[in-house]
Amino acid sequence: MIRNAKRDLSVYAAFFAMIPKLFMAYQLWFWIGLVLSVISMAILVFFWRAVYADTASISGLALDKTLQYILLAFIFSPLAGNDLVWEFGSNLREGMMIHHLLRPINFQGMNYAQNLGRLVTELMLQIPVVIVAVVLFGLRFPTDIATWLGFIVSALLGLTVMFFFYWFLACLTFYTTEVWGLGVLIQGMSFFLSGTLVPIIMMPAWLQTIVLSVPFAQAVGVPVSLLTGIIPLSEAPRVWLTQILWIIGMWILSTLFFKVAVRKITVQGG
Amino acid sequence: MSVIEVKDLTKVFRIPKKDPGLGGAIKGLFRPQFENKTAVDGISFNLDAGEIVGYIGVNGAGKSTTIKMLTGVLMPTSGNISVLGRDPHRQRVDNARDIGVVFGQRSQLWWDLALIESLNLIARIYDVHPVKYRLMLNQFTETLELDELLKIPVRNMSLGQKMRSELAAALIHEPKIVYLDEPTIGLDLLVKERIRDFIKKECISKGMTVMLTTHDLGDIEELCQRVIIIDDGRIIYDGPIDTIKKRFGKYREITFDTVENVNGLVLPEGAERLEAPDYKVQIRFDRTLSTASKIASTVMNQVEVSDFSLSEPDLGDIVKQIYNGALDREPR
Repeated sequence: MIRNAKRDLSVYAAFFAMIPKLFMAYQLWFWIGLVLSVISMAILVFFWRAVYADTASISGLALDKTLQYILLAFIFSPLAGNDLVWEFGSNLREGMMIHHLLRPINFQGMNYAQNLGRLVTELMLQIPVVIVAVVLFGLRFPTDIATWLGFIVSALLGLTVMFFFYWFLACLTFYTTEVWGLGVLIQGMSFFLSGTLVPIIMMPAWLQTIVLSVPFAQAVGVPVSLLTGIIPLSEAPRVWLTQILWIIGMWILSTLFFKVAVRKITVQGG
Repeated sequence: MSVIEVKDLTKVFRIPKKDPGLGGAIKGLFRPQFENKTAVDGISFNLDAGEIVGYIGVNGAGKSTTIKMLTGVLMPTSGNISVLGRDPHRQRVDNARDIGVVFGQRSQLWWDLALIESLNLIARIYDVHPVKYRLMLNQFTETLELDELLKIPVRNMSLGQKMRSELAAALIHEPKIVYLDEPTIGLDLLVKERIRDFIKKECISKGMTVMLTTHDLGDIEELCQRVIIIDDGRIIYDGPIDTIKKRFGKYREITFDTVENVNGLVLPEGAERLEAPDYKVQIRFDRTLSTASKIASTVMNQVEVSDFSLSEPDLGDIVKQIYNGALDREPR
């Protein structure tokens, strides 16, 4: 039992460690991504400065607070990103899915490990963006350890919510075998509904209801709100509990759906 | 002792049927129509431990579908499969530990990783003991000539290099059962030869049970004692390779392109000249009585030859002939 768990952990660690290597296979992407990130961040900052041109505060947030939130949300946006839909799509298309299912290992666990690997890699790659944000746009990180703790726990939980949620969506590709539309739709929705573009607190009440009834905000909006103090730290336990409930719900849904969907696998060839 | 037992195995695919054109596409959106296609139709067979069996049939006969069900990734529509006493679909993960699979048309290696990284990962997944792994890796590096390949990402490999790597990946954990689905597809003769040699040495010496699908009869002749021929989802022959070889493998045809028309060729015993167009000499010979080189040298001694080719008996032909009663056996 313990030996098995140890073996599984070592396998998951191997999958985790594989992702940075895959990233490095395409070095050009690193540079292109960096330039694009800095440009997007600059656009966001100038946009919000323009919005605040005539007013000192929106929904109780001053310009500086909003900018801190937007910059941090931008930096931590990989938390809401996920390649599962693309992964499933290309795996099904290229027939790799069969090989993954033929491994004596929990397929979901393997993907979770890879997802963590992706996150860590992407966050490392954000370091130059962080430097630009600090030097050019006045980003300041909180220094309070408790705040960071609240954020990290919430971020890990939120990441897990998103993993199971994307897992559920990815199962759709077993039926559609088409991923481009689905992938782009999810990316767009995630950008807006996760609270990367606009702090959730600024949204009108009806939109807030929508945002909080879909899981996207759990990964970026909620943790970064904790980090910037928009959600007070005393609220952290309640936030965590909500996120745990999200995880349980999404886990059940996605696991059931996968069990049914995997039967759909019909890889071409006689 | 049977390690694989298959009984009345059937797989029916439901395929969306679309009328041609935009109209048909729109109609399909609202009232999808489906067509049932029976890919595997009530087949039964047993495989004993250590057997190497050729599972052959023309394209679309149902070979890969059978293999996918045996490996557990595809759920049968009906019928029973038992692999080492397990239901491979229900106990997919346990089953996976004891099998090795090569699909000739797709790769199990990580495209962007160097081969050695893929192999390390696979060894870890299958819990191969590090000492054992090093031993196997050294052995494979030698027999499959992987030396120069280990550091190359799979995406930069040639087809033959890829296949050698695939075999290493599929066998590094010494599985009890190996499924090889078209392992030599698209490879040139030299590489084919090397791959067959490797399979023979590796699998026989370790007593692995091997199921090999192919439509290359050469693979089968080299490796298998027993063949199962499948056509249109049904087994039409299950028995020793010798019967097939005697009946169909006896004759070969060799064709020469000559610079002038030739009359009155003297041929060795067991060879006969067939009708052929101008500037071509086509000869059929009995392999038990003569050899290709004997025929070639005899002909070349008599006429000037610009080119020649040797043709193998075609699997499609054999299937047709079996239907016509060539084996004096009722098709099942």
